[in-house]
Amino acid sequence: MKNLWIICAALLSAAFLLGGCQRAPQISFNEQIRPILNERCANCHGGIRRQGDLSLLFRHEALSTAESGERAIVPFEPAASELLRRVGHTDPAHRMPKDDLPLTPEEIQTLQTWIEQGAHWEDHWAYVAPERPPLPDVSEPEWVREPMDHFVLAQLDQRGLAPQPEADCPVLVRRVTLDLTGLPPKPDDVKQICTDGALYETYVDSLLASPAYGERWAAMWLDLARYADSKGYEKDVGRTIWRYRDWVIRAFNEDMPFDQFTIEQLAGDLLPEVTESQLIATAFHRNTMTNTEGGTDDEEFRTAAVIDRVNTTWEVWQGTSFACVQCHGHPYDPFVHEEYYEFFAFFNSTADRDLDSEFPTLPSFEEELATEGEALIHEIARLEEAMIAQVRSDSLARQRRIWETTLDQPEVIGQVQLMLQNEVKRVVATLETERGDAQRWTLDYVYAGLSDDPVIVRLREEKAEKERALRALNPIHTPIMRELPFQRRTHVLERGSFLLKGEVVHPDTPDVLPGMPEDAPRNRLGMAEWLVSGENPLTARVTVNRFWEQLFGIGLVESLEDFGTQGLERIHPELLDYLAISFVEDHDWSIKSLLRMIVLSATYRQSSHVTDELLQRDPRNRYLARGPRFRLSAEQIRDQALQVSGLLSSRMYGPSVMPPQPEGLWKNPYDSRQWQTSEGDDRYRRAIYTYWRRTVPYPSMATFDSPSREFCVSRRIRTNTPLQALVSLNDPVFIEAAQALAERMQKAKDPITAGYTYAMGTSPNREALDVLTALYTDAFTHYTEGTEDAARLIGDHESAELAALTIVANAILNLDQFLMKE
Amino acid sequence: MHECCNYNPLSTRREFLERLGMGLGGLALSSLVNPAMAADPDVIPRAKRIIYLFQSGGPSQFELFDYKPRVNAMHGQELPESVRKGQRLTGMTGFQNTLPLARSHFAFAQHGESGAWVSELMPYTAKVADELCFVKSMHTEAINHDPAITFFLTGSQIAGRPSFGSWLSYGLGTENENLPAFCVLITKDKGGQPLYARLWGNGFLPSQHQGVQFRSGQDPVLYLGNPDGVSSAQRKMQLDRLRQLHTLKEGTPDWERIESRIAQYEMAYRMQTSVPEVMDISDEPDYIFDLYGEDAREPGTFAANCLLARRLAERGVRFIQLFHQGWDHHGGLPVGIQVQAKETDQSSAALVQDLKQRGMLDDTLVIWGGEFGRTNYCQGRLTDIDYGRDHHPRCFSLWMAGGGIQSGLSYGETDDLGYNIVRDPVHVHDLQATLMHLLGINHERLTFKYQGRRFRLTDVHGTVMTPLLA
Repeated sequence: MKNLWIICAALLSAAFLLGGCQRAPQISFNEQIRPILNERCANCHGGIRRQGDLSLLFRHEALSTAESGERAIVPFEPAASELLRRVGHTDPAHRMPKDDLPLTPEEIQTLQTWIEQGAHWEDHWAYVAPERPPLPDVSEPEWVREPMDHFVLAQLDQRGLAPQPEADCPVLVRRVTLDLTGLPPKPDDVKQICTDGALYETYVDSLLASPAYGERWAAMWLDLARYADSKGYEKDVGRTIWRYRDWVIRAFNEDMPFDQFTIEQLAGDLLPEVTESQLIATAFHRNTMTNTEGGTDDEEFRTAAVIDRVNTTWEVWQGTSFACVQCHGHPYDPFVHEEYYEFFAFFNSTADRDLDSEFPTLPSFEEELATEGEALIHEIARLEEAMIAQVRSDSLARQRRIWETTLDQPEVIGQVQLMLQNEVKRVVATLETERGDAQRWTLDYVYAGLSDDPVIVRLREEKAEKERALRALNPIHTPIMRELPFQRRTHVLERGSFLLKGEVVHPDTPDVLPGMPEDAPRNRLGMAEWLVSGENPLTARVTVNRFWEQLFGIGLVESLEDFGTQGLERIHPELLDYLAISFVEDHDWSIKSLLRMIVLSATYRQSSHVTDELLQRDPRNRYLARGPRFRLSAEQIRDQALQVSGLLSSRMYGPSVMPPQPEGLWKNPYDSRQWQTSEGDDRYRRAIYTYWRRTVPYPSMATFDSPSREFCVSRRIRTNTPLQALVSLNDPVFIEAAQALAERMQKAKDPITAGYTYAMGTSPNREALDVLTALYTDAFTHYTEGTEDAARLIGDHESAELAALTIVANAILNLDQFLMKE
Repeated sequence: MHECCNYNPLSTRREFLERLGMGLGGLALSSLVNPAMAADPDVIPRAKRIIYLFQSGGPSQFELFDYKPRVNAMHGQELPESVRKGQRLTGMTGFQNTLPLARSHFAFAQHGESGAWVSELMPYTAKVADELCFVKSMHTEAINHDPAITFFLTGSQIAGRPSFGSWLSYGLGTENENLPAFCVLITKDKGGQPLYARLWGNGFLPSQHQGVQFRSGQDPVLYLGNPDGVSSAQRKMQLDRLRQLHTLKEGTPDWERIESRIAQYEMAYRMQTSVPEVMDISDEPDYIFDLYGEDAREPGTFAANCLLARRLAERGVRFIQLFHQGWDHHGGLPVGIQVQAKETDQSSAALVQDLKQRGMLDDTLVIWGGEFGRTNYCQGRLTDIDYGRDHHPRCFSLWMAGGGIQSGLSYGETDDLGYNIVRDPVHVHDLQATLMHLLGINHERLTFKYQGRRFRLTDVHGTVMTPLLA
């Protein structure tokens, strides 16, 4: 008490003392101070602009002496803190923020109290490892089905809200089936559980075990992987990378633990005794775009691809907008510019370099050709090694030196493969002593291709012959990651430009996060292991949040892609941390196990019914006092229509297919490929198998908010537009589905009830049935009068009944409740 | 409870909103557009809409608008390194032994009271020169097509940002609920650089802001037509019943959301009328075809698209984006550019005149130009009758008209060899900032928060070029 009086006495003399002299409550840096600094100060005094040599991003910087000779913040000494003097200044010329509205008196008071209390800094929550929170007490313990329900109910108790009762059985069955498999339940499934008393838990297990599960979750992952069947940029020619898509589906179906799932995709090629499957997994980062435009500099677009790999890795595993740091220090989060390129260095030594051929690729063969094919691959690799050894041998040293001096002559460089000319020019322009391994390797490689040394010529011919034999086997080439036998030198790139090279940096992770173990390899493998080490405070949180968002429509952190200080508010911090810890420790990174826990919870099973009051208090269901309700994804909308009409093919895997799309969409003067509409079963495959061309997206997918896959997207923003109505009313795919559903209906005793039941899993209520029947009657009358119309709709002029049922089916497929998950 | 069923579901949107007591109106405004953020109280909007006649491939300024007698005089001589100053070249001419200057094959003259220089390739444009503002000092950052065109239309070379039209749809909304706010028209059957959905894409903005492509032929908007055997009357009957089914949920708290779904179906139905109506040019009088040229009768030509642009503008479409490919003249320039000029000159000028005679030029901005310029030196073999030009980002020309732009102005200047800008440079971001300013938008304020950062069309750059304003 005595001390307090001394502080008060000191403060009383300060002119800017605004409040009284009560003991102020402890100020929270994260909740009260950082928002002020980010919103009002960071623009000029953050990681980008450090005006007056002052940045408020790190404490040591904020406390040091600025250009003016003053210290912005002096802990415990408000009177000495220039920041307080400036924000409270009466003269606008001296007041901060400059040329902007002044801080409010409350904000100034908060800053002052915080400085009085010692100006303590806190790390942003996301950079501090989560701890398992204790289960809170709740008002109704019997409501709880899973430990996670404690956290939800405790929040609701606190806010004076009550959970909704469990959803009606058919609604819950439809919800969980769509959530786990991306397809609606069959009416039989609904009956078994809701009427015949089969267990919900058992049903959930059967869904998790169904092959459709992998297809549904792969669809989510492919947005992150920016998977597409084309190379991107202006020509956007085809790419054969569907084996990666199949790998993702299999990984989900086999429930590969998420840590392994991570390591194989980021660094499968570096694992000991690598398998073919692990190599295919690395295609994750070969989904970057390749620019095949004439006259482009491959190094420019190789750099762009590496940047994309860094940004994608950070968005997917760390929920961090690391892309900001490629040009300058992060404006709000504690990452500095150099750290970006230290991380870039992990990815900078892969063998790919924006070549049209997509080198390096993994050839794979028809089963009976595999042995022969693999032998040829080994043979080619051996010949290449022999060639490089010969190139480097002393016997060729003199010839080689002469050849190098002629490389600045146009007729000599003209012999070099066009794509390599820029690179060779750069090497030649570099002093020999300054050349790195990569540059020496480039020259070796080029020389091996041009030298007339008899040994090399013989090896080259032999290699060409083996390559011809390999081509004759018609292998499928999947682009994969391969590490070069040396490290490319990594520079800090000014504004991310490949031409503006700064200081040299080495592979490392940013300081704000726990570092890699001392003995870990400083390569992609070490980096991937670091992401899933359990020490990393972000990976598990970011991951569970992603799965949560898929089920509930909104993440516990809404900004799935940004857990930084500018990310959106967490509503259930303890729940998020509980799920993250539980995912790693209780579920051993098993996604199936995590999802099982969530869909068995009382929270998930709630009805999505909402009262006016609840809608007002919680319009977006952040508190979880009800179940989820939102529109299905683009993939689900297509798959569902095909499934309920009985058209959906259950065939899995393989090259992408081309279901009907309007003519003339693919018009690319550089690319004569046409959209070849698939026939038979392939017309009706799940959406995940639809050919994905980045610059010409499949129209119905894009209309229902799917991204272009040119870059990683965490979150699709759901919209509601007239163009969507045109798709589900008129797209031939949906018309075909309506016709097929009508045929199914025609065979049933009560066609209309049957049609509705196929769609919704449960029969319509009286009122809905009346309206559908009225629709049928109107349509039937029309089609008996105008028989030509019936023939045009269904190709059969006799059947006014089938035509009218098609109209009814088309309406059912456009029902709001059909397009929604509730 | 079922009184609702008396109301005509296909009534106008206004009635619909009134009926809802603006419940949906509020929803639509808050979720679809963001006018408050964009509006700049200090700026009085001069333009309401943009018609952007994008000339894809990089039209050569040397043959069109940037008259360089000195290049003509030095024809065949080497480009001095003192002028090039280490400018990066593309892989197409980077290894050429020699970079000989190439004169324009076409004669220039001054036109109108403003005395603007226009070449003989553009006689119609020359006639309306006093309505136009020529900018000779455009410059950009990219040297290859994809990054350059993406930069021009989205403000960033890297894919992922919303396009210009999407930003306007987001910032200003639409004036006509029966048509998309952002329409895209592409000249049919052209070769040249491919165009891609990204150029009219919504990036990270909600997808209702993406440009909607209007195509010549049966289904001008994808899936607009009813399936065979479903007449318009049938469809209306079906949608009435669908609405009735949806209205069963009336009175539930979820009703507002369902109503918005009903509204989308109604809008789709109205588009089935309004789009064919705007595409049907049979009601245009003959003098209009005299003005735009006979090409305008042929659907899918640039001339027909110019005419459609005017029709869409009349109906309140916010951003009308035309694309005309084929300007990438690495070789065979003298022949190639004549074809391009013939396809675009008359109808571009006609559009300006037509808007003017309807009193619409005052609030419609027209822009004509490509993604970069071309080199003063020859790519490939230079002969008396043939030459080509490579990409050149350091300077190029475009023209604008109407909507608060200073008419009769030639702005900016390049050096005698047309290689560098010597006066009044205009960066792509400056142009974007200026156009937004004319629409009453502060380009620094129209932002969208994504990945923790507020993004805008002009990134962290752009200055409004006041000398260009009327």
